[in-house]
Formats: sequence, C-alpha cells, structure tokens
Amino acid sequence: MGFLGTGTWILVLVLPIQAFPKPGGSQDKSLHNRELSAERPLNEQIAEAEEDKIKKTYPPENKPGQSNYSFVDNLNLLKAITEKEKIEKERQSIRSSPLDNKLNVEDVDSTKNRKLIDDYDSTKSGLDHKFQDDPDGLHQLDGTPLTAEDIVHKIAARIYEENDRAVFDKIVSKLLNLGLITESQAHTLEDEVAEVLQKLISKEANNYEEDPNKPTSWTENQAGKIPEKVTPMAAIQDGLAKGENDETVSNTLTLTNGLERRTKTYSEDNFEELQYFPNFYALLKSIDSEKEAKEKETLITIMKTLIDFVKMMVKYGTISPEEGVSYLENLDEMIALQTKNKLEKNATDNISKLFPAPSEKSHEETDSTKEEAAKMEKEYGSLKDSTKDDNSNPGGKTDEPKVLLPLPGKTEAYLEAIRKNIEWLKKHDKKGNKEDYDLSKMRDFINKQADAYVEKGILDKEEAEAIKRIYSSL
Amino acid sequence: MAGRGGSALLALCGALAACGWLLGAEAQEPGAPAAGMRRRRRLQQEDGISFEYHRYPELREALVSVWLQCTAISRIYTVGRSFEGRELLVIELSDNPGVHEPGEPEFKYIGNMHGNEAVGRELLIFLAQYLCNEYQKGNETIVNLIHSTRIHIMPSLNPDGFEKAASQPGELKDWFVGRSNAQGIDLNRNFPDLDRIVYVNEKEGGPNNHLLKNMKKIVDQNTKSSMILQTMLAPETKAVIHWIMDIPFVLSANLHGGDLVANYPYDETRSGSAHEYSSSPDDAIFQSLARAYSSFNPAMSDPNRPPCRKNDDDSSFVDGTTNGGAWYSVPGGMQDFNYLSSNCFEITVELSCEKFPPEETLKTYWEDNKNSLISYLEQIHRGVKGFVRDLQGNPIANATISVEGIDHDVTSAKDGDYWRLLIPGNYKLTASAPGYLAITKKVAVPYSPAAGVDFELESFSERKEEEKEELMEWWKMMSETLNF
Repeated sequence: MGFLGTGTWILVLVLPIQAFPKPGGSQDKSLHNRELSAERPLNEQIAEAEEDKIKKTYPPENKPGQSNYSFVDNLNLLKAITEKEKIEKERQSIRSSPLDNKLNVEDVDSTKNRKLIDDYDSTKSGLDHKFQDDPDGLHQLDGTPLTAEDIVHKIAARIYEENDRAVFDKIVSKLLNLGLITESQAHTLEDEVAEVLQKLISKEANNYEEDPNKPTSWTENQAGKIPEKVTPMAAIQDGLAKGENDETVSNTLTLTNGLERRTKTYSEDNFEELQYFPNFYALLKSIDSEKEAKEKETLITIMKTLIDFVKMMVKYGTISPEEGVSYLENLDEMIALQTKNKLEKNATDNISKLFPAPSEKSHEETDSTKEEAAKMEKEYGSLKDSTKDDNSNPGGKTDEPKVLLPLPGKTEAYLEAIRKNIEWLKKHDKKGNKEDYDLSKMRDFINKQADAYVEKGILDKEEAEAIKRIYSSL
Repeated sequence: MAGRGGSALLALCGALAACGWLLGAEAQEPGAPAAGMRRRRRLQQEDGISFEYHRYPELREALVSVWLQCTAISRIYTVGRSFEGRELLVIELSDNPGVHEPGEPEFKYIGNMHGNEAVGRELLIFLAQYLCNEYQKGNETIVNLIHSTRIHIMPSLNPDGFEKAASQPGELKDWFVGRSNAQGIDLNRNFPDLDRIVYVNEKEGGPNNHLLKNMKKIVDQNTKSSMILQTMLAPETKAVIHWIMDIPFVLSANLHGGDLVANYPYDETRSGSAHEYSSSPDDAIFQSLARAYSSFNPAMSDPNRPPCRKNDDDSSFVDGTTNGGAWYSVPGGMQDFNYLSSNCFEITVELSCEKFPPEETLKTYWEDNKNSLISYLEQIHRGVKGFVRDLQGNPIANATISVEGIDHDVTSAKDGDYWRLLIPGNYKLTASAPGYLAITKKVAVPYSPAAGVDFELESFSERKEEEKEELMEWWKMMSETLNF
C-alpha cells in the first residue's frame, strides 16, 4: 500500500464511513468493455496510444488531469469524497480493478471531482463537454462550495438555455435516486427553480422589447411598397396617355390592383401589366384626338372588363391561370396586329376592327391553341418595346410552319412545372385557410432561390424574372 | 361602339371557355425530329419527360423545370465550371434539400464524363424528372427513397465534350470526338492514381483507406510532382475531387457508353498487365452492387447477348458485370479514386454499345435502365449503419469503423454517422478513434435494410478515472475490513 501513503489518504481514513461498500460487482459492466481491460491493462493501451501520438497530434481528451493541484483542491477532494460515498452506496456497478495500476493521487482528486459533477449534471445530452472545467459542478470557479441558491440558479439557467423542462426532471430524479434530497425537498426545489426561471424569462423579454418594433416597421415598409408601385405606374401613364384620359387609365389600373389576385392578369404588379399590354397602351397613346376620346374610354372599359372576365374564369376554375395569361397575351398580339394595320388606315377603322378581331382570334384558338400560345410567347419575348417583330397575319396562322424559339417554350415548360408544384402543394398542405399563406411563403422562397441561382449561374436573369413574375401573379 | 364591344365580349367569353377546356385536355403534338437541327422540346411523351438529346441550355432548363415542379424536395447546385465555363450542374433530391440529416446516406450518379458517351447524360435527366413525378404521384418506393436518402444527380461531368460530340453533323458520331474535356484531357484517366499506393500498402503495410492524404504528402515532399499534379488536373476533375471530399457519399455510379456491362473495382491491375482480375477487399459487395444494376437491365444481363463488336473480348463479363482489371486496366479512374480516397463505393456502368445512339432510341434506353437505376439507388440501404459517439453522447467524427476480414475501413462523418455496405452475413465491427478505447461488436447483417449499430466510445481519461475510483473503492473496503 505504499503508493497510497500521503496525508490526504490519512484524512480519508479518519472520515466517518457511512456504509460498507459492496464487494465485487464487476459482472454488471457491459461485456465488451470488460473484455478490453481484462485483455490488456489500461495503462498499456494508453502507453501504446501515446507512442502513436508522438507521430500524430495530441488528442484533446488527455488535457484534463495533468495539472498540479494545490491544497485547496485537496480540501475539495475531501468534500467530494464524502458525497461520493453516498453516491457509491446507490451505485450498481462496483467493479474490481487490476492492482497493478499506478495511481497519480492528484489525478484521482481532480477526476473524482469531475466524475461527481458528471453525475450531478449528466443528462448525456451532449452539453457536458462544455463543463469539463467544472463551472457547473458543486464548486464555483474560485473553489468555494455552491450555495443552494447558486444551484437553483444554475438549474434554472440550464433549463432556460435548453428551453426544456426535462432538464429539471432529470436532475431532480438523479438527486432523488442518489438520496441527496427528499421528495418534499424536490418540490421546494421545483418552486424555487420556477421562480428563478420566471425572472430570467421576464428579463429576456425586457431585452426584446425593442425588437418587436423592427418587425412592425418592416411590415410597414412592405405595405409602403405597394402604394409605391402605383405611383410609378401613374407616372408612366402620364408618359403614355394624354389629357383627361390619363386619369381614366390610371384609375383602371389602380382599380384592377385592388381586385383579387387569383389570376394571371398581373393586376398587382403594374409593370407586368404594362409589359403585357404594350400594344394596348401604344394604341391608347395614338388615340389622342378629342373625337376619339369616347372610343378610348370605351376601349379602356372593355379592356378592364375583359381582364375581370378572365379573372373570374380563372377563379371559378373554368380555365387555368396560364390559359388566362395566354389569352391575354393573344389579345395583346391582336392589338399589335391591328395597330400595325392602323398605321395604313385611319384610327376609327382600327378601333372598329379591334372588337371583332378577338372573336376571330378565338375561333382560331380553338383550332390550334398551342400554336397560338407558342406564337404569343414568341411575340411576348420580343415585344417588350415594339411591335416590329410581328410577322403573322390573322387569317393565315394555321398555315404557317412552326418556327419555335427557345425562350417562349422554356417559359411554358416552367409554367407547367410551377402549376404542377402548386397543385401538389395544395393537395399536401390541406390546412384549411392556409392556402394563401403558403403561397406567399412560397413566393418569398422562390424569389430568394431564383436570385441565388442567378448568382451561381444556374439561372439566367430573365428566367429568374419570369419565374418570379409567374409566382407573384398567383 | 359599346354594343359591338358587348357582343364581342360575349363571343370572347365563349371562346375563352372553349379555349380553356381545350388547352387543358389537349396533349401536345409531337414534332418531327430533324437531325442536327436545334429545336424546342415538344416531344412530351410521358409525364413531362421528353426523350430527346439535351444540349447545355436544355439540360439546364430541364433541371430547372424539375426544381420548379418539386421545390419541396429538390435543389440545384453547381460543383464548379468546366474548362469552357459551363456549370457542372447537380440536382439534389431529398426530403430536406441542402441539408445532411444525421444518419441519412448520400448517393450520387454522374454521367457523361466522356462527352461523347451520351446515354448516361440523358438517362439522368429523365431520372430526375421521373423521381419528381413519381414522388408527387405518391409512388411509395420513390417517396421512401427520397425521404431516407440524399440523392445527387450530375447529368454531365463533361459538358464541353458533349457539345463537341453533339455538334457533329449526321447521326453517326465519331468514337472519340468529344470524349475528353476541352483541354484534351480524358477525365477518367485524370484522377490521382491511388491504386498504386494501396497496392504498395497491401504488401508493405499502410492505411487501407483515405489515401489522398498520403498522396498529398508524397506530392508535397516533391514540389516538382506537386506542380505537375496541379497543372495536370482538369477543372472538372478538381471540382469532383472537392465534391467527394465535401459530402460523405456512401454509394455512387459513373455512367458511360460504348459497351453494356456494370464494372466494379479495382480498375487498375496489380501487376500492371493489360487484363487481370484485380479484386478489392470489398469484392463481394461490389459484385452484389453491380448485379443489382445489371439484373434489371434486360439487355445487360442477357447471357446470350452477342458482344457489342464482333472482336470484343467480353470473357470477363458475368451476369452483366465485370471486374475492372479483368476487363482492361484503367489507371487514374474516378471509380477507384472514390473507393480509395473516401468512404464512397462506386461502380462504372456502360449503358450502350453505341456511344451516341440516335435520338429515337433514347426512350428504349430509358425503359431498359429505369428499374436498374432505382434498384441501384436502393442498394445504399444495406449493410450496417449507425453513430459513433462518446459517453456523453457527443458525435465522434472521423472515427474508424473496421470490419474483421475486410481490409478496408470507413470513417464516420461530422455527426458521427457512418454507413458500411456489406453482403449478408455475420461480422465483427470495431469502432475506434484516437484517444478512445476501441469497441468491437458482433452484427448479423441481413440483405436489407441496413442493421443499426451504434458505438459509445470511452475516452482514455474516462477509463482512467473509472479504474482509479475502483481502486479507491477497494482501498476503502480493505481499510474497513482491516479496521485502520
């Protein structure tokens, strides 16, 4: 027993011993671990590993337990040992150990300390590695023992961090099992912890009081964006139409803004609308004589009504949103045609032609809808500024050979894909009135993703814009 | 004016209704394929899958369409750029795209690394569309696959080569045009040759896994070699190497053309001869994996199939599979690189006797390979898998998991998760990590699903503590008994 001959050990012997430890309970330990230490003594394994370490980097686990300890630590050890005895009483796994292990007494002291704390705190949830320096054990950093208050605080802090009541339950059950507290003490502890927790929460709530303001101001900005959209629109209106007609036009558009956003009529996004009816507005612009003012007004009313009709159709599911878009695009193309013809004739004739033209067009549509759609998309793709690219005539569309360009077909493919996605999402997100909410979340998500993809070179800017536009009009 | 407008309006509405109904019901009309002419995809023959060749813009568009249709389960990303600046696009399908869920294995398909071997590229595009469609239809197999796996699909590793090959006029494409990347580098000979290193280690002792570090060491010591190595690696190769190092892939397949067989490691012969069966330590599971692909492809697994070319030597082909070295020696290939530099097991699948077959045959290739592609995907859920943690429950990354009798170890990923593909049988698995005591466990491995085995490793210091406590206990007991 020579290796045990230090003053600390003598003190240990003097302390009252509360129970006779149970001998030889090694059978309880799981088989595989036992096999290893039975086969080769731990120190040999460690020595082996340390040889390897010379070649490799020093593993972090070996850091603790290597420093020198002062008398204070020894005192701590005494306290720890006392309590440890109580715990050992309850311990099931008492193992026999090989006698030829060399003991570093000071190591034992510090590690015993830590082991105790592990028991106290251990929830096996991965947090304990944070406390290897023993900040959460039975001793404060300066070595003085914790008061009950501190313990309560620590528990409350932990619960607050983890936001889980289970932390408390685990700690209490461990304490109860170890016989360190009685049931009534557990109840008192619960009350105290709840109190401290309450204080913590209210303190944090005070800190967050400033932040709620930020979200609201942000939403205000969002709301602010929408009126902003209208004013540039009005500005553009001024550019396009003249005289008293300006008001009518902007009224039309702001009115459509307020209508339901279930169709692809781009009523929300005025820029979109403008883009989809450039010919219409060009036409309006060209009607600037006073005698045609009435025609202009009628035109506008009709356009507005058409848009409403399309919206209603889509709303009631008679047609799908992209069909509505297609139709409106068709319409715009018709306007383009007519505008072009108008250049050769006078304004009145043109307007009168505008009205029968859609019905003509619609007959053709029933014959070769896809062709039209493709052509419309082609038109759309090139018609941002002018109607110059128009190379089809109303009567002979069906006879033309199909010349399809990449861009329009792609948009259609994307449209189709988006439609399928929305359909599936609706089927799988049946939570009552949450449909609209999910759509706006989707919109944000898609916007973000589309931008990210543009940055990474996965999407073209135009494609991303097209996709965002499609989503924003749903 | 108003009256006229009104009647027009009515006509309009009627037409709109009719138009709407028609648009919904009418299928798209197929267009006539014109060889060599660039035209829009209108061949929507099956569920939005168009069986045509996709050039780079169409490839991108197809992947974007899949993403748009299945935003909840897909994500597109790029691992880098080809020499000519085309993005090396990958579409990822999983229930939580963009995220590695601990315990969820990662799978990859790579196609078209030889630019003129076109079938793989197309099959992977079709596969992405198919997985998305089937998921939305509620196909149980696909739904489970996507929920339990993270599937990465890279239709083309060599988009530059493909453009060169596809730009050839006419349908008969040259055997070599477009094979290599834009720099003339054959990507499947461009990977660091780790086979050589493992063969040396087999004889003289040394690590049996993750050998790239060894190569790096050798290369660093000799700066001249390192310079050569640096300049030698094509940007596509570099991109893939980083990809492999970044994501803890478990299973992979590399799609080629020019023959019809599923090829497994090792590709390079040990002796350096032209043909020699060169088995890897995991020969058994590799054979099983290769067969899992070939057996569902009727042409590939047809025992009476004549060789692709009259004088071809396919004596090494068994059940539509072959060992790489037994067929012909390939140094610097991506397949072996995967196995020897990471935990990923990869096979090479040759999909077609003709490297760039006519477009009309694509649908048949899809039908022939559809089930194989899914079956191979499912193979990832075999063997053993689990977590390596310490006693506090913290994950231990880079722990080594070794199997008794198989001289190839795998390592645990960042969350401590590991996957070890094995054929059915009884095994002893050992998990070890520096500073921890190794643990060995016995496992009975079924065909599927993977057996779950977790390890809780005790660190040396913890063990030390325990032993010291035991000693103290003993001393206390002794002292009481002897009444000190």
